[in-house]
Amino acid sequence: MSPRRTDAGGRIDRLRTIRFTFDGTPYTGHAGDTLASALLANGVTLFGRSFKYHRPRGVLTSGVEEPNALVTVLRGEVREPNIAATMVEIYDGLTAVSQNRFPSLAWDISAANQLGGKLLSAGFYYKTFMGPAIGPLKNTRFWMFCEHFIRRAAGLGRAGTAADTARYERMNAFCDVLVVGSGPAGLMAARAAADQGARVILSELEPHFGGSANWSGETIDGMPAADWAARAAGQLEGYDNVRLLPRTTVWGYYDGNTLAALERVTDHKERPGKGEPRHRYWIIRAKSVVLATGSLERPLVFPGNDRPGVMLAHAAERYANEYGVLAGNRIALFTNNDSAYRSALALKKAGAAIVAIVDVRPELSSEMREFADEAEAKILSGHAVVATEGGKALSGVKVQRFDMANGALAGDTRSIQADCLLMSAGWSPTIHLASQAGAKAEWNEALQAFLPPKATQRWIGAGAFTGSFSTAEAIAEGRAAGLSAAGGTGTPAALPVVEAVPGDPDPAPVFEIRADGESFVDFQHDVTAEDVRLAHREGFISVEHLKRYTTLGMATDQGKSSNIAGLAIMAEALGKPIPEVGTTRFRPPFSAVSIGSLAAERFGDLRPERLTPMHDWHVANGATMYSAGLWYRPMIYGLSGETIEQAYVREARTTRESAGIVDVSTLGKIAVQGPDAAEFLDRVYTNMFSTLAVGKARYGLMLREDGLAFDDGTTWRLGEQDFLMTTTTANAGKVMQHLEYFLDVIWPELKVHVTSVTDEWAGAAIGGPKARAILAACVTGTAVDNATLPFMGIVHGKISGVPVMICRLSFSGEMAFEVYSGAGYGTHVWEALIEAGKPFGLVTYGLEALGTMRIEKGHVTGAEIDGRTTARDLHLDWMLSKKKPFIGSAMMDREGLIAPGRLELVGLISLDNQPLNGGGHIVEALDEANPHDSIGHITACCYSPALGKYIALALVKDGKVRRGTRAHISDPLRNRFGPLEIVSNHFFDPDGSRMHG
Amino acid sequence: MLITCPYCGPRDVIEFTYQGDGNRERPQPASQDLDAWNAYVYDRLNPAGDHNEIWQHSGGCRAHLRVVRNTLTHEISSVAFTRGDHKVAARHKAEGKL
Amino acid sequence: MVERQSPLEPAPLELELRTGSHGDFEHGIEVILSETRPGSILQLAAWPGREKELIAGIRTVTGLALPDGAGAGSTDGARSAFGFAPGKFTVVDEAEGLASAFANVVTPAIGTVTDLSHGRTAIRIAGPKAEWVLAKFFAIDFALPAFPVGAGRSTMHHDVFAQIQRTGADQFDIYVFRSFARSFWKALCHAGEEVGYEVQ
Repeated sequence: MSPRRTDAGGRIDRLRTIRFTFDGTPYTGHAGDTLASALLANGVTLFGRSFKYHRPRGVLTSGVEEPNALVTVLRGEVREPNIAATMVEIYDGLTAVSQNRFPSLAWDISAANQLGGKLLSAGFYYKTFMGPAIGPLKNTRFWMFCEHFIRRAAGLGRAGTAADTARYERMNAFCDVLVVGSGPAGLMAARAAADQGARVILSELEPHFGGSANWSGETIDGMPAADWAARAAGQLEGYDNVRLLPRTTVWGYYDGNTLAALERVTDHKERPGKGEPRHRYWIIRAKSVVLATGSLERPLVFPGNDRPGVMLAHAAERYANEYGVLAGNRIALFTNNDSAYRSALALKKAGAAIVAIVDVRPELSSEMREFADEAEAKILSGHAVVATEGGKALSGVKVQRFDMANGALAGDTRSIQADCLLMSAGWSPTIHLASQAGAKAEWNEALQAFLPPKATQRWIGAGAFTGSFSTAEAIAEGRAAGLSAAGGTGTPAALPVVEAVPGDPDPAPVFEIRADGESFVDFQHDVTAEDVRLAHREGFISVEHLKRYTTLGMATDQGKSSNIAGLAIMAEALGKPIPEVGTTRFRPPFSAVSIGSLAAERFGDLRPERLTPMHDWHVANGATMYSAGLWYRPMIYGLSGETIEQAYVREARTTRESAGIVDVSTLGKIAVQGPDAAEFLDRVYTNMFSTLAVGKARYGLMLREDGLAFDDGTTWRLGEQDFLMTTTTANAGKVMQHLEYFLDVIWPELKVHVTSVTDEWAGAAIGGPKARAILAACVTGTAVDNATLPFMGIVHGKISGVPVMICRLSFSGEMAFEVYSGAGYGTHVWEALIEAGKPFGLVTYGLEALGTMRIEKGHVTGAEIDGRTTARDLHLDWMLSKKKPFIGSAMMDREGLIAPGRLELVGLISLDNQPLNGGGHIVEALDEANPHDSIGHITACCYSPALGKYIALALVKDGKVRRGTRAHISDPLRNRFGPLEIVSNHFFDPDGSRMHG
Repeated sequence: MLITCPYCGPRDVIEFTYQGDGNRERPQPASQDLDAWNAYVYDRLNPAGDHNEIWQHSGGCRAHLRVVRNTLTHEISSVAFTRGDHKVAARHKAEGKL
Repeated sequence: MVERQSPLEPAPLELELRTGSHGDFEHGIEVILSETRPGSILQLAAWPGREKELIAGIRTVTGLALPDGAGAGSTDGARSAFGFAPGKFTVVDEAEGLASAFANVVTPAIGTVTDLSHGRTAIRIAGPKAEWVLAKFFAIDFALPAFPVGAGRSTMHHDVFAQIQRTGADQFDIYVFRSFARSFWKALCHAGEEVGYEVQ
């Protein structure tokens, strides 16, 4: 039998024993236990070491707000740090380890930090890492050296290095009513809304529905509250219009009633089912939301309040009632309110001795006195705990007479032997989601708590969330909220009857007992009350600054247990009431969210990718694929032993000597159809398209509204009202949006439809001196001679029985043709062309050879049309029609765009026979030690088989007039310096005799 | 943020592309008034409050929408197709294009 | 005539993408995936004010009567039609050659016809967990009252545009760009593993 497990009671399955380890020690627990409850049952009190001072810490809470008991859970090689032990459900084989300790939890070397605690006070990092301003170490790197060790000493768990193999998924959900929290209020709300026929989602961050009903010990409708909650949840399961989400934390409340939630699907399982994700990231769009998120009990701030064995009162009550675990055998309580008396009764009933109830209030109600008597507890009203005793576990507390009017302590201290101290400073509604959604919280003096703000979106609160802390109120408000959220009125029906321990919900306005010793406000970040006062003394008077300077509330628990006490201490220091000091707005996430769940499915091999119709052929025929945006394109078809350069040089040379073929299916293709299509193209292109004959293509250039170059491509006139526009691969989407914008917003009177047909067509460009002969050998139904198919002409025919459209145009500078077929026939036509090309020495070529040939020809692509260049800069001014306005025409001649000194397109030839680097700079005078005065940069480079030289395209200041002069490449990053000659960008066949044939 | 597309219904903002300030007036295509063009291309109101915006439902029906969005609260008070836009229609009527 | 090649085969696809049962199928098959391979996929678009004539034209050619309203559609098994944007419709036929059937019906005065028979790939997902699997991808409401049988929706998953028509109480036909089809198919299979899926 575990030392702290009660003989009976609790909602664990005592017949099922679970085996797990913590820091290598094997333990057992029961199904239904959390790691925290199972360890407590085994008598473990020391759970971890604190963030800065490495102080021993136990478990403070029983839920999501836990700041102390953070552990690392290991799954094989994968480690997940900073998980609250209160949220880990144990399973067979669970392996958990403690954090922030060396060499072991019990004997931690850095605990010496405690002795120098004063050194690590508020603003420690800000002050320390500025470095010494005086003394022998001034201006040295000594502090940077120290920083490494200090930062390592302070911290949480260590992230793992093994790849996380778990699966994460995203899920979109829609509902009429989202109920967050499944305590009595949430259960009532869900039921009421569901009965109205609304689509309901009920989320609960714990494994079981019921919230406080699972441990309150109250009676609802004559049965234990936990049974009532289980029955209510069971009934909801039977509704088709209700989705129940246990283990699901709603962590973000965004605009438009969009909420983000994390479902922990398999964390509690030994191993996930096939295909089951570990976490599911729910994005819930709710018409309205019921916030039934309950409230969080607050700790009191007093010296030694962080010693293992000091715990929140309700947490111990929950451990006893829900898990059958006693947090201690001799328990003392310290409170400013009535709710702790209920906890005392519950623990007494569970078998613990209640040695004392220390209450800061001088006067107690007779009811509370009766409860204390019933618990056989000594009452010390008007007293406070001023110290705790013990090492890694509590052995006793010291109390002293306390005057809550002025905070003064008086009289002798007396010691009380106890192995557990429970504290309660009242309750704060869990208003995080409402705060995320909008307005500021409102201070309630009686409850000493911030209550939810006015709704700015469609939500309604219920239960403890609204400051109504009794179960009877929660039940009434829950039903009303559910009805209202579902838009129903409902007939008055009897509400479930609650039998509960009574109590006044209003606490005394006491949060801190000022006595000697470290009193912790923020347990997780090791922020003490004195740190808050120090920050105030140093001039940090805004609550926002206080938070950042002291890091109060900035740990992974986001100050769930520390906010109010911190504010109260700050308010006292400022001499202002709490509402005037204000509170910070809560930000998402409510609690920690796995990064994996946010990345979800857009990860690894599930990223979307685009493949051309001939993709499999390329891969099967030795292509090295290259990702260009989302597309995959062949880079080279390397032969064995070839380098990339050898491969593309061979491909380009063979193309210019005989013929080459390349997959151009990725080019953007847009159908431009309608009676005003030609007029529209005249407006969007700088040159004329209305004059283009049917069956002809033309090269076109587009500018942006600001007059800079945007995109280029050929557009084919397939019919009087039917054009096929091609765009660069990279700009296909942008051009489409550009056209749609003008048609929808600027010229809605034009009758034009634009449709993306990129995927409709497979495209193969075949070029070279033998290209026409190859086509002649395989095309039927049309001639391909110069008369039938002149430059920029289009014919329709068939290849191997498949209809094709052939346009004679050239990017490579060779006599070339683009052959388009339906995408489903792409591979068939491609293979037919390859077969027909065999006798002619046809070679397949990839992006590298394509780029090489375009550089030789001086054609521009996205590297030159970079959003900063004009048509003139690229020597495309011959395309700027003077006969008509077009997009960009009014802005393109602005002073700065025609001024001298602009970067202009040029060609470069390497004079030292070494490669030129893309991105390398051009300088007039070389200065390797101190590179300066760039006159431009290289946009594309290659070895040119046609010229037998390393060449490049570049944008160079006043490039046109520099043609024929020499300069240098200056690329200090890659240590490439060398002479070059500036030439025209048209390196090869400048008059185009090869392509015109 | 959700935008209620008049065709597709309420959709997540990820389906939309912001296409600029809806207060811009494009000069006549042949206009040489550089100030007017500058104002159209570069000048933005950037109001704190209601703002006329053009959004494209690029991940849906691809229609362009005129959206009035409060830049302080993200609240959207109206959404309409830009086609059928009264201002544009009136302008084109004045120009004799309709 | 040469048979059209699907982007989903005869690719060297991984085993779990091929015909058969996959994922957690021992607990039952809850989703069936298939490629429907229609012969014709067309986009019809009407000029403003001519939508009714275009809808009448769809009825003339296909026999499908489209209800009023955004995204409204209809299917008879062999042929399907639905609106996906203002004045724009997707019309699908098992048989090839639908474009020529519309050539004289949708005249230039009414609107335009764009043949996308090769450019779009039609994937069908059916079964009790079809909505569940699709909800992993698309931020639209798949519940029957919000998305009735016959209706169409335009939406996207990351960069993948999709038009989705509900062709049964638990059956959806998804039209994606051909170039994305294989990676989208892979993602669908992956998402279907937890519920058990069969590829037909």
